[in-house]
Amino acid sequence: MMGAALSRWTMASFAAALAFLVGAQALMVAGYGFPAADIRAPQTLVVVHMVTIGWLSLLLCGALFQFVPVLVAKPLLHERLVLPSLLLLLAGLVSLLCGFLHLSDRAGIAVMLLALAGVLLPAGFALALFVLGATLWSARPLPLPARFVAVGLACVAATAAFGSLFSLALAGFVARPALLDLHAAGVPVHAAAGFGGWLTFTAVGVSYRLLPMFMLSPDHERATGRVVLYTGGAALALAVVAAPAEALLAGTAVAFHVAGALALVALAAYAADLSHFYRMRKRRVIELNSKSALGAFAGLYLSAVLLLALWATGTISAHAGALVYLVAFGWLTGLGLSQLYKIVPFLTWLECYGPVMGRKPTPRVQDLVVERRDSAWFALYFLGVAAGAGALLAGAPGLFRLASAVTLSATAAIVVELVLVRRLVNVKAALRLPEGTSRPRLFLPPRTETATIGAAR
Amino acid sequence: MSIPPPDLPPLDVDVRPILRDGGEPFGAIMEAVARLAPGQSLRLYATFKPVPLFGVLGARGFEPSAREIGGGDWEVLFSPRAAAPQPDRPATAAPAAGNGNGGGDDWPEPSIEIDNRDLDPPEPMVRTLEVLEKLMPGEALAAILPREPIFLLKELESRGHRWRGATEPDGSYRIVIRAGDGRAAAS
Repeated sequence: MMGAALSRWTMASFAAALAFLVGAQALMVAGYGFPAADIRAPQTLVVVHMVTIGWLSLLLCGALFQFVPVLVAKPLLHERLVLPSLLLLLAGLVSLLCGFLHLSDRAGIAVMLLALAGVLLPAGFALALFVLGATLWSARPLPLPARFVAVGLACVAATAAFGSLFSLALAGFVARPALLDLHAAGVPVHAAAGFGGWLTFTAVGVSYRLLPMFMLSPDHERATGRVVLYTGGAALALAVVAAPAEALLAGTAVAFHVAGALALVALAAYAADLSHFYRMRKRRVIELNSKSALGAFAGLYLSAVLLLALWATGTISAHAGALVYLVAFGWLTGLGLSQLYKIVPFLTWLECYGPVMGRKPTPRVQDLVVERRDSAWFALYFLGVAAGAGALLAGAPGLFRLASAVTLSATAAIVVELVLVRRLVNVKAALRLPEGTSRPRLFLPPRTETATIGAAR
Repeated sequence: MSIPPPDLPPLDVDVRPILRDGGEPFGAIMEAVARLAPGQSLRLYATFKPVPLFGVLGARGFEPSAREIGGGDWEVLFSPRAAAPQPDRPATAAPAAGNGNGGGDDWPEPSIEIDNRDLDPPEPMVRTLEVLEKLMPGEALAAILPREPIFLLKELESRGHRWRGATEPDGSYRIVIRAGDGRAAAS
């Protein structure tokens, strides 16, 4: 092991991801898609995929290209495939969104765009999977957080396969009745594999490393962590493989319910680990990233409570929109924004000051942000999400748009703060650019390889 | 070591303001140590008894004598021992097993051992490099880090230092680094 470098395209994928997040929220404020339109309407599909692929998947891919090498202490393999993967994902997403927009007119262009998306998106995910999978494979036996990532990667393959099938079916290329049945049964599976497997399971895995790292908590593997992995992994296997097979062959839903019960066990064990990390931390005063992550964890557990309540009252299909909103914005986006607030300063610090550390006085990573100012944005964001979920449950679309305006403003403010971080604006001028350093570019990689590490010589 | 002039006053370092601001005084202390004349003592003022420093400066041949001076503050006088520093535990040699980029058997005893386990990232790496920059070429440093420091390894490689390291049973990572002979760039 010769150490790992900064991932060259991580900041660019974060930038693209944030652009999609802001764009999707702007559409929600404008009243585009659900709840004004039907939950299956093309407009809703546009917003949902801007959030899940544009924002969350690009965010996660960018983060994994950087953190899988950290999780397994091996360099990233086949790094030259990272940029093609991101470009394929972007091109595939744009085709998908345009294809959705043309769905209503059933014109030939929709067919072409959806078919293109059905090829480009799986190709982009396949390349990302190949890079990350090969790196994980080279590092066996895997530590616990990396095993979560491996399960997440298997789930993104399933999600993309189902998604590709849907877009090809919509485009009319796949018209065999059996496959169309699978399409109908497949939407919940697509959502479970995407939200539960790819996005949630991977985020949980990364949290097992990031939380102890930044709160100085003990992070040796605990039995509860393995319980989360095994019960969560079994729940995903049941939901993604067994449940659709059972639904097609027998028309029953036993596997789906067993999966739900196992997921609850996983959530309970994860709660025990989270509480362990926060209670056993050596760092008395925690930073804003760890503080605001608590809002995201609240989002996760409120989502679980909401799911149980909807299931108990038989109203899941009536309120699926509120549930998906709470998972996507309360839990996943909340965690994403809170961790970006640490990851971006940390990587920016390494990129800029790495070459001179130990030789010249440098600012601390904390000096790149102004936590006192930014805690208000995070509070506002989570308030907006709570109001938005409430509005959806209460069937108040006007209030939902207002709540979305609040989350959009908070998100935009956090994005501005991240731009200030990249520009080193918050660092005292005397310490900002010691000799031997160069100002990082906003999101593109340094101009030459040697500029990252070694510029001092 | 030369005979100390008897009237050379100790060099005073007061890190209490740094500690009260929540800062890290280690860099300032090591800079002061580097400024010491041969035989000169270091008088340190801190807001707690700086036990970890006893080991670090002990390895450099200083004997600590600490006393509480009220208000929870401590004064510690680090006086040079008459003889050259003895390696206090042979176990501080480079680990034979584990990873590394340095082959061969020409590994000196680490002249300094630092424990960076309780620092926020990226401080364990910064601290290690700070101390490393003060070593002479060929001298070695041992550091205990919270986990395998993959960004540090990359930086050591690019600065031309050699290292050997291994994960300890408690999950921390012990690395011994031999300072390179110049500021050689990798590649």
